[in-house]
Order: sequence, then structure tokens, then C-alpha cells
Amino acid sequence: MDTEQKSAETAVQPEEELRSAEAYIPESAKPVVHEEHTVGNGMTKREAMKIRMRSMNKQELLYLRKKRLAENCWPVFRFLILFGLGFVILTPLIFMISYGFRERRDMNDPTIMWIPRHLTLEVMKQTIRSMGLNNAKNNPLINTLVLNIGCSMCQVVTCALTGYGFARFKFKGKKLLFGVVVLMILVPPQIISIPLYNTFRYFLFGSVNLIDSFLVMYLPAMTANGIRAGLMIFIFRQFFRGLPKELEDAAYLDGCGPFKTFLKVMVPNAASSFLTVFLFSIVWYWNDYFTSSVFFNNTTTIAIQLKNLDTTLLTTIFGNANAQVSVREKIVWLEAGCLISITPMLILYACLQKHFTEGIERSGLVG
Amino acid sequence: MKIPYERRKSLYGYGFISVWLIGTLLWFLVPLIESICYCFMDNDQLRPQSGGMRKVWLAFSDGEWLANFKHAFTVDPEFKQALLSVLKDTALTTPMILIFSLFIAVILNQKFKGRGFARAIFFLPVIIATGPVYNIISGNMSTTGADSGAQFSTLFQTDIVDELLQFLGVMNISDHLTEIINTVVTNIFGLVWSSGIQILIFLAALQNIPVSAKEAASMEGATAWEYFWKITLPYVSPMILANFIYTVIDSFTKTDNAVMLRVLALKKDMDYAHMAAMTWSYFAIVMIFVGIVAVIVNKYIFYEND
Repeated sequence: MDTEQKSAETAVQPEEELRSAEAYIPESAKPVVHEEHTVGNGMTKREAMKIRMRSMNKQELLYLRKKRLAENCWPVFRFLILFGLGFVILTPLIFMISYGFRERRDMNDPTIMWIPRHLTLEVMKQTIRSMGLNNAKNNPLINTLVLNIGCSMCQVVTCALTGYGFARFKFKGKKLLFGVVVLMILVPPQIISIPLYNTFRYFLFGSVNLIDSFLVMYLPAMTANGIRAGLMIFIFRQFFRGLPKELEDAAYLDGCGPFKTFLKVMVPNAASSFLTVFLFSIVWYWNDYFTSSVFFNNTTTIAIQLKNLDTTLLTTIFGNANAQVSVREKIVWLEAGCLISITPMLILYACLQKHFTEGIERSGLVG
Repeated sequence: MKIPYERRKSLYGYGFISVWLIGTLLWFLVPLIESICYCFMDNDQLRPQSGGMRKVWLAFSDGEWLANFKHAFTVDPEFKQALLSVLKDTALTTPMILIFSLFIAVILNQKFKGRGFARAIFFLPVIIATGPVYNIISGNMSTTGADSGAQFSTLFQTDIVDELLQFLGVMNISDHLTEIINTVVTNIFGLVWSSGIQILIFLAALQNIPVSAKEAASMEGATAWEYFWKITLPYVSPMILANFIYTVIDSFTKTDNAVMLRVLALKKDMDYAHMAAMTWSYFAIVMIFVGIVAVIVNKYIFYEND
């Protein structure tokens, strides 16, 4: 049963191949195929092809041969290209795993390249200690998670509201305001970092100092101005513009107000797009070094700790800041740190890969 | 009192964007204007002292109101070189990234076994490359000689690119060209790692090509080559512009490029006025560059709906 189905499927293919071949040839040169020999009478692909080939002229045969050659060669090339480039992408990960679990003396052994001779977990433990991941107070992991999830949620909600406002309503100055959104995408955060620092340092006319508190991240996120908020508003606007207008009209007729319509009709339709933007937001907040390093002096996040690992390493593991450790040997700890800091993102990516990659198409960024 | 429907709807529009509007005023527009003002203030007075920052307009104090810009371009020891190198790098790598990501997107759009896996790998840089991890990895890998360029040349026991160029006879045509090709090939690591999002966007665009266009092309007997130039490229062209802008913005706001490093160094020294002048002139130059290219590219774009 199964094999029969398969042969029927394969029998269709040469038919298609021939049809496209025929399209290439002038009408007069088309082969005369006897009706009783048409493909599909329980013949294998090869048999059917042979019968067809008998009645072909040189030109047609040449075309078929060329086509077959191309079809057989391309997958090999494609595999080589993808394999090579995939290797380039995966090398750093292999590198991390290979270097993060070896003793430092392995670094000075020229015979060791990828497979360490002295496997150890000690480096990992030292790195965790040095990054402060086992701290009870001010733990970078907990800080990062609180900032990450909270800010991403706020940001997704507010950006969706804003995007919807820009997508569906007509109001005065809309073009100008949307220009501001584009400006938000274009202006690098470095430009506004210092005035913004002053705003937070002397908040409410100098009465409150917000530096080092989580509010410096939460306040912008709650008002759709967090990390890459412009891009997120843009994505949401494109997405909502792509949804059919009839959806809302039906809701309006049933007596829903705009806010209720948004909640009851638009949000359920946009669920997958919400998830995608949320995931990207999590990744961006996780990877953010610049913003957090400007506003945090003592509050630590994973990205800050990783960036500073180069120096904190010396004091926490070797006791003093002037310890002499060669650049090569340091790599062991740095790579362990990298591995620690990307593992959560890798797990997230592995579990929700589909939403990362297919979400952008669905979110309507294109078109 | 009854407000007409149109008015009411526009009021609701303001309601939806009000949260963002407040935030943007506070956290974006005001700081933006303030940082423009910094460009025209006295650098030494602006330094935070015990009593906060003293804002003294240059135009009112000694008359030379462009002093900060003058400082950036004539006095500052590193800014001009950094700016030139960043512009050169961006001009070189942006087209490379675009071509490369389109090529990969076309491949990943074909049907073959393990496509999902291949896609997962190629989008991996999207997750990692924006963080500090990337800098550490690429630095470490070049220290240990494990970066991909070095790997390949040890693999083949020779500088294969030079050999190839020699073979093709390109080597002696122009040193400049050889240099460009060489930098691109040795930097394949950076190229692959910085084109994750671009591949994603191109792939989405490719999947939006209508089936009818595909069918028409195959009925007419178009080869893959013709199909690419006549069907794929026109349909993807709007996204080429979008990707171009994304790539340029991405590369010039990276915290590890030479200008940004200089800016951060100034920030550490608290030379805020100099820093503001520097970032704004940098931003303006890049925007002009992007604008010119966008206008030129826009002429060749095919929009289906228009």
C-alpha cells in the first residue's frame, strides 16, 4: 500500500519534468507520445522515462541531461556551502565548550587544540563565583531576570498599544509623530545617554536619585521607550495594518469601544506576533550592556559582569588586582563566563525556535 | 454633548499613543534636544562639579560657538581616523552583508532535508551577536589562532585566497581590489555573524513571492539564473533597502566600533560637550550617507502595489 503510493508519486515527477522541457522546445519539435504509454500505468519512473526518451531528438536529450546534471550537483554544493558556513557559526560555541572545561595549563600546551587533556569543572565554579552568581544579595542573575521579563512585558504591551494607534486611527500630526518613531529607531542611544542620566539622577527636580534602581529600566519600558522600542512599535504598526478592517467593524457594530475592541478582537489575533516581539525583547534586554552600564553603578546584570570579568577575575580568583596572568590563560575563564551567560538564551531559542524565525514573517514586517 | 464620530475616533487615536507620547517627551525628545544644546556649550564648565553641571553657552561667553565641533575635527587625536575607518568599513561590509544574506536566504528557501536545522543554525547569531559575548569570543579566537580565517588557511596549508587570485590573474590588476577581497575573505566570521536578521528578513520576503509568478516563470522555461534576476530580485527589492538601512544603523551604533570607543572614552573623561559634538557630527554624516544611498536605491525598487 505504502509502496504503491510512493510509486504513484514518483511517477508524477517525470511528467512535470517533461512538461517544463516541452515548454522549452518549439511546437514543431514536440515528441509524439503514444497514448497507451503515458505515465501512470503502474510503470516505474525509469521505465516511463526510457519510453519517452526513445522518441526524443538530440536537442531534447541534451537539455534533459544538462538539467539532470544541475539537479544532481547543486545539492552537493548546497551542502558544502551550508556546512562550511554552519561551521563558522558553530565554532564559537564549540570553542566555548572546549575552553570552558579545561585547566589553565592546557592553554600552554601547543598539542592541544580542541580536545582538552585535563577536564575540570573548577574553572566553571570559579567563574560563577567571580561573576557573583552565588551572591545572596544583588545577584546578577536575579537582577537580569527581573529586569528582563518585567521590562519586556511592559514594553510589548505599550508598544502594541502605540502601534495599534498608529495603524488604525487618523489624527492630526500623525505623520509627524510617526516621524519621531522612525527617529527613535535611527538615533543611537549613545547620543541621549548623558542628558538621560541627568534626568534620572535629578528626577523630579532633583528630589529623587533613580540611578542604580530598577526604575531606570522600568520607567522607559512602561512608556514604550525602552531598548529598541522604536523598532517594536514599527513592527506592531505594520502587523496591525495587515489585519482586515472588517474584524473591528464587526466589533464596533456590536457596540464595543475601541479599547475593548483592541483587547477582545485584535490581541487574540496578534498572539503569535506578541510572542515574537516579546522573545526578541527578552534577548535584547539580556544582551544589553550599554544602557545598563550607563545607569547602574552597583546594580549588576549578567552582561555587565561578563564585560568586567576580565578584571574581577584577578581579584576574586588570584587575590589581588595586579596578579600576572597571561592573556592566553585568561581565556579559560572568559569562555566559561560566555558559556554561562548565553546558556539561558540558547535554551530559550532551542525551545521556541519556531517563534523566533517564523514570527517575523507573520508579524508583517514585510509588505 | 455629542462629539462627531470622526473627532471621537481621532481622540481615541491620541488615547492609544498617549503613553508612548509622554514617555517619548521625557526619555527621548527632551534628552535629544538637551544633547544638541550641549554641542554649543563650554566643555570645561559642563563637567560635573560639586554643584552639578554649569551650562554656559559658547556664543555668549567667548563668541566661538562652533568650538566643540572644531575640537572634534582638528584637535582630537583619534576622532578623524576613527571616523574614516568606520565609514570605510561600513561602506565595504554593508554590500557584502546584503549580497551574502540574500544568497543564504535563497538557499534556505529551497526544499531539502534538514532545512529546519540549517535555519536554526543560521539564525543563531541573532540571539548572541548583539551582546558582549560576541566581542569576547572573536577576541579570544584570534588570540588562540582559532578564528575561522586562520582555521581555513591552516587547513589548506597556504593562503588559498592569494593563490586563487593569482590564478585568476586578478592579483596584479590593482592592489586595492586584492586588499578588499582579502579583508572580506578573512573576515568571513564577522560577515556570517552579522547577517542573522538580514537573512531572516530576506527569507520572509522570499516567502511572500506569489505562487503565480513562480508558475509563470516555470511555464516559460526560465532557468534558475533567469528566475533569480527576473522574479526574485524585483520582489525582494523593497527589503533590500530596509536591510541596507538596518545594516548601516546596526554597524554604526555598535559599541565596539572605533568612533563609539572614542566617544565612550570621552564620556569617562566627562568631556560631555566634546562628546555631544562628536556624536552629532558622526550621526549627521552617517544619515547623509544613508539618505543619498536610499534615494538612489529607491529609483530601482519594484513596488508591486503601485
